[in-house]
Order: sequence, then C-alpha cells, then structure tokens
Amino acid sequence: MARQIVHRLLISFPALLGVLFLCFCLLQVVPADPAMIIAGPDAKAETIAAIRLELGLDRPIPIQFLDYIRRVMHGDLGRSIISNKMVSEELGLTIGPTVELMLGAMIMAIPIGLTLGTLAAVNRGRLADRAIMAVSVAGVSMPVFFIGLILIQYVGFKWALLPFTGRTGPVWDGGLPSLILPAVTLGAVLIGPISRLTRTAVLEVLGADFVRTARAKGLRETVVIVHHALRNALIPVVTLIGLQAAFLLGGAVVTETMFSWPGVGRLAVGAIVSSDFPTAQGAIMILALAFLLINLLVDVLYVYLDPRVQRS
Amino acid sequence: MSVEALGTAPVPAPVGRAGVMRRLMRDKVAAIATIVLTLVVLAAIAAPLIAPYDPYFTDLTIVMQPPSAEHWFGTDNTGRDILSRVLYGTRNTLMLGLVGVIIGGLLGGVLGILAAFYPTLDGWIMRLVDIMLAFPAILIGLAVAAIFGAALTAVVIALVVATVPDVARVARGAAVGVMGQEFIEAGRAVGVSDSTLIWRYLTLNCISTIFVFLTLRFGQIILIGSALGFLGMGAQPPTAELGMMAAQGRDFLFMAPHIATIPSLAIFVIVLAANLLGDALRDVLDPRLQQ
Repeated sequence: MARQIVHRLLISFPALLGVLFLCFCLLQVVPADPAMIIAGPDAKAETIAAIRLELGLDRPIPIQFLDYIRRVMHGDLGRSIISNKMVSEELGLTIGPTVELMLGAMIMAIPIGLTLGTLAAVNRGRLADRAIMAVSVAGVSMPVFFIGLILIQYVGFKWALLPFTGRTGPVWDGGLPSLILPAVTLGAVLIGPISRLTRTAVLEVLGADFVRTARAKGLRETVVIVHHALRNALIPVVTLIGLQAAFLLGGAVVTETMFSWPGVGRLAVGAIVSSDFPTAQGAIMILALAFLLINLLVDVLYVYLDPRVQRS
Repeated sequence: MSVEALGTAPVPAPVGRAGVMRRLMRDKVAAIATIVLTLVVLAAIAAPLIAPYDPYFTDLTIVMQPPSAEHWFGTDNTGRDILSRVLYGTRNTLMLGLVGVIIGGLLGGVLGILAAFYPTLDGWIMRLVDIMLAFPAILIGLAVAAIFGAALTAVVIALVVATVPDVARVARGAAVGVMGQEFIEAGRAVGVSDSTLIWRYLTLNCISTIFVFLTLRFGQIILIGSALGFLGMGAQPPTAELGMMAAQGRDFLFMAPHIATIPSLAIFVIVLAANLLGDALRDVLDPRLQQ
C-alpha cells in the first residue's frame, strides 16, 4: 500500500512542477510590469527600480522560479493587488466553502448515481433501464449553468424555498439551506456519468461466477445485488469519480460564480476579471493542487477497494 | 484538414462507409440525432442568410419581450432579436468546439502515435500527457485568460489542452495494438521507411478509433467552451456566443427568464445530439472504446 502511494507521489512530482511553472509564468507574462503596477502611475524611475530590486525582478528567470518555489513552500503567495491582503489569507478563507460545496455535491450525487445505475442494470432492456439511461444522457449533456438557472428561477425565486445567493455559514452552523442549491447544481453533473458506469459495471459483475454461486446458495436477490454485485462494481466507479474530478472542479467554478458562493473558483474568476494577478495565480494553483490531491486519493482508495492491485 | 476529411480517409474499417451510415440510420435515436445536428450545423453556416434580424441591432422600445410572432425567441435586455443571436451564437460556439477538437485531435493523435512507434519517446510523451492532465480545462481557460486577456483564443487554447492528453492516450492505445501485428514487422523486413510505416501502416489503422473518440468528446468540449464563455473568459460583448448570452441573461432571470434559458437550451440540444451520435457511432465503428 505504502509503495503504491510513494509511486503515485513520484508520478505527481513532475505534474506538480508543471503546475508551479505555469503559475509562475502567469506572474511573468503579465502584460504590464508588476513593479510599475505596484508603484502606481506617477512613480519615479528610482521607486520602480527599488521595487524591482525588492521583488527580485532584476534576477535571471530560472533563479526567480526557484525563489518562487521557495516562497510557495513557505506559504507566501504574494499580496493581492486589489485588496492588498495576503493571497494565502484569502485562499484560507475560500478553501473551506469550496471543499464544502464539492463534498455536498458528491454526497448528493454518489448515492443517487449508484442507485439509478444498479436499478438500470437489474432491469436491463426494460422501460426503467431505458428511462434511467435517457435521463443520464440528458444530464451529461446539460451545461452546469442551465441546471443552476432553472433551480434559481424556480426553487429559489418563484417558490422561495431555499436561498440562492451567498453562504450563510458552515453547514454545522445553520449554513445547510444555502448549500443545498449549489450542491444540487454541481452534483447533477455527476449523476449521469456515475449511473452510466455503475450500470455497465454491475452488468459485468452480474454475469460473474461468484454471483451465480451466491444465488445458488439461496441468498436473497437484494443481498446478491448489494453485497456481491454493487460492491465489486464500486471499483471502476471510484476511478470514474477521480476522472470526473476535472469536471467537478470546472463545475465548481461555474457554480460558485452563479450562486455567489465565496469559494476559490469565484475568487479566481473575480481576480482575473479585475487583473489581480497574484490572487489569480494563487487561486489557480490551489485548484490545480486540489485536483492532483483528488487523483492521489482516488488511487489510494482504488488500492484499498481492489486488493489485487496491491499484490501485483 | 477537417473532421469530415478525417472520417472519409481510406480506413480499413470493419464495415464499409455506406454500411456505417445504414447501420446508424437503423438506430432511431442516432438517426434523429444526426438530423438534428445536421440542421444545427446548416443553420449555423447559413446564419447570415436565415437570421430574421441583425443580431447586433438594439431597439430600446422592445426590450425583454417574451417570444412572439415577430420575435420567435423574444428579445433581450437591449431589444436585440434572440433568434438571430442564437443563430450567430451557435455559429461561434460550434466553431470553438470544432477548432478545439480538430487541433487537439491532430496534436494528440500525433503524440500518441509517435509514442507508440518510438519506444524512446514513449516515456517523455506520456509524462507530458500526465502533466497536461493535471490541469483541468477550465483552469487552463482561466490561466490563459488571466495572462492574455479574455478572448475566444483563450477558450480555444483551453479546449485544445483539454483534448490533447485524452486523445494521445487513446491514439497510443490503438497504435500499440496495431504495432503488435505482423504486417508492421513485415513492412520493416521489406525496408519500408519509418514515415511510410507511421502514416500508411499505423495512422490509417488508428484513425477510426481516434475519430470515434473525438465525436464522443465533442459534446463535452462544447460544454467546457460554453462554461468558459459563461464565466466571461471567452467572447466579449456584443459578440454572440451561447454561453456568454446565458450569462448576460442571468441578470434578468426574474423579469425575462427566456433571455438566459433559450441559449442554454440551444447548448443542451447541440450537446445532447452530439453525445447520442457519438454513442451510436462508437457502437457501430469501434465497440472497443466502450468501457
């Protein structure tokens, strides 16, 4: 187990460097000179030069990159040009809500997806199967913001059932109502792929010998399906959730923007719109790191769920 | 080279080209999807001819009108005809998706095939692909828009980066399979050059797999592109692009929901048709891709 994780970490290392390098570029290829932005429009040449020296902008690029990595390691991502707050501080405030949103979406989507997929597999070829598959194709084809727009318009505005802007607080502190609509919007994206794959995986397992044995032993059909078929079908589904992480992150950016959810995605979009490069760079880096981490976790979970991987 | 040209390349497919069409049309869902997609593409191409109004002409006396006989899809917050804007928007959105898929498909295909053909390159190319996979497309779009400013090119770059690594993996997988076959060895034995081996022996045998995969991805690519448009990273007003139109309509959601809903619905129809067609094409051309 430990060896798998180390191996995976070694693979993620170049990816990590790539992430850092791109974020570094984001600060380099800025159309305007950062020193000039910080110094302001009427600054004297000496002031600008002093700032350049202070920021290390006069040194060669590779040295600056190493310096950048060192600063990132220490959690120093610079200051926001707009609010002048530390970027790391702003990120600290926004990570929680984003994690909450993504977990909320998964908690909603995974049970529904697994149930729908299993139901479709058990009723293969029948009306229920076709209906579920039609719904899941429709779900996969729907833009995230479309689902969000419909929910805001009806559930939020017309029927006034749930709040649809901002976050009132953490879930454990009365924030649940404000989480529901964003989490459902984001989770809806996942239901389609999860139910589709669950169906395929369960169908495959249902044909296996051990399922026939379980049935021959006289186990009840629900036990056979839940304990034998679904459990084994979980392996590809977990991998899929890892593959969907990119989708989930992208969806989170859109969802946060729509629902004014104070997360990293909204921070990134706002920073880009207002040309706040240090903040944009920090937010993009955190999102990319989160993505690497999710994939790492999925790999670990994969080993845990499928002991065969461990032995090979 | 366009996607159509790729599709009609002389591929030793399991069934002939006419057979593919016939088998696709036998599937009712695939037939409807094909018809819908064809109509959408035709409407997008013919947008300047069939659009009833100028998509950029504002008329402040008729703002936010619901759908009517004069304006089938109603008017937006500045009195522009939404039907005309959706037609032009579809043109831009489809173009984004096509350019992303074609450039990404070509780059990814080349990388994957080279990785399969030259074992020395394999590790490097796959490592590059891994790094590209570490960046979700939306993040690339955000980063590019941050560096160069929001524009359609930012979205295209994001879509290309989103396409390349997956295509490279699929192409490599298909090409490794072909490399194991005897005719490659036979070709080598009679002294066929590397370039001929790569193109005539390897690429032509992988193209149908790559093509089916790209069709399957097209819908997702359109979704990513329109999400970036929605976030304001792509086309800038007044250009009509479906995702951006939906974002603009969001401000008037409670007064005139059709402004945001109609462009969103248009994206949904395009992506749904593309996904259904992709599924059907895979079943006919390359069942191996089914996971």
